[in-house]
Amino acid sequence: MESDKIIERWVPQFRKGLLEFIILLRLQQGSTYGYELAIQIKDVTSIEVAEGTLYPLLNRLKRDGLVISEWQTAEVGSPRKYYEITHLGLETLAKMKNTWTKTHNSILNMVMQS
Amino acid sequence: MNNMFPIQSKTAQQIWNNFDRELIHKLKLLPEEERTDIRLEILSHLYESTMDGASEETSTEDVSLINAIEKLGSPEEYIEPLIADILIYQKASKGHPVAILQGLKSSAKKGFFHTLATLILGMGYFWVIMIFIMSVMHIINPEIGIWYHDTGAISLSFEAQPNATQWQPEWFSLIGIFVSCLAYWGLSKVLSFFIAKLK
Repeated sequence: MESDKIIERWVPQFRKGLLEFIILLRLQQGSTYGYELAIQIKDVTSIEVAEGTLYPLLNRLKRDGLVISEWQTAEVGSPRKYYEITHLGLETLAKMKNTWTKTHNSILNMVMQS
Repeated sequence: MNNMFPIQSKTAQQIWNNFDRELIHKLKLLPEEERTDIRLEILSHLYESTMDGASEETSTEDVSLINAIEKLGSPEEYIEPLIADILIYQKASKGHPVAILQGLKSSAKKGFFHTLATLILGMGYFWVIMIFIMSVMHIINPEIGIWYHDTGAISLSFEAQPNATQWQPEWFSLIGIFVSCLAYWGLSKVLSFFIAKLK
């Protein structure tokens, strides 16, 4: 079906656009590392994106000062780079939530009316 | 780095080494610190993912590693954007002309505000380069410089202006070269800050 093909193309783009918001939402709950973040995002949102695509986003969030990172080496297992949300990150997240709520409500209204 | 990520199976170790070699090759453009950081993070992800997969009874270490590489996605999707981001930021902040042009180009595509800022920065670079060239040329031709007209107007000129006095004819080259270099550095810092803010 033509519409299925269009949806197949649209859904990944739509989800990808939300990733930065989702990463910050997750980091608000506590620091985490790339692999765990990828798994949690997949579990909670069912977003199927290549796990590697998280890293350019994390790098950008870091450069914007929204997150900071620190390497931690455990006695057992591989070293992990933990990401933590900053004060600026929390401030930005609050604005993102506000935008999200407004947009979500407007779209929901449109969907209900259609 | 192999001690950090102990792989048991020989086949898996070969796959791991091949992946690592490719990763090193792809990251070679980056400064060492960034290169090591990204490489370690990707390998750490791959190792965690492999170990997670290998803990399932039905999977072997090598199959699990192949699956982990597949889940990570194509390097074009994550390595190239990372490299591009880091390189353009670093080179622009160091005043690399190609990176500056790239930075201005990508900035101009990001909407009205960015286009306006790009125009202002572009004009800034234009005048800085112009003043630098004039300052160097002034050494050969002392008539090149800034001229004050009787009417109060000021002009940058390549020849002596009638009814006008030249500004600092003895010091123009030195001041011009120093100020243009300083302004070039300053503009590059503003541009790199700007690139960092690009979404």
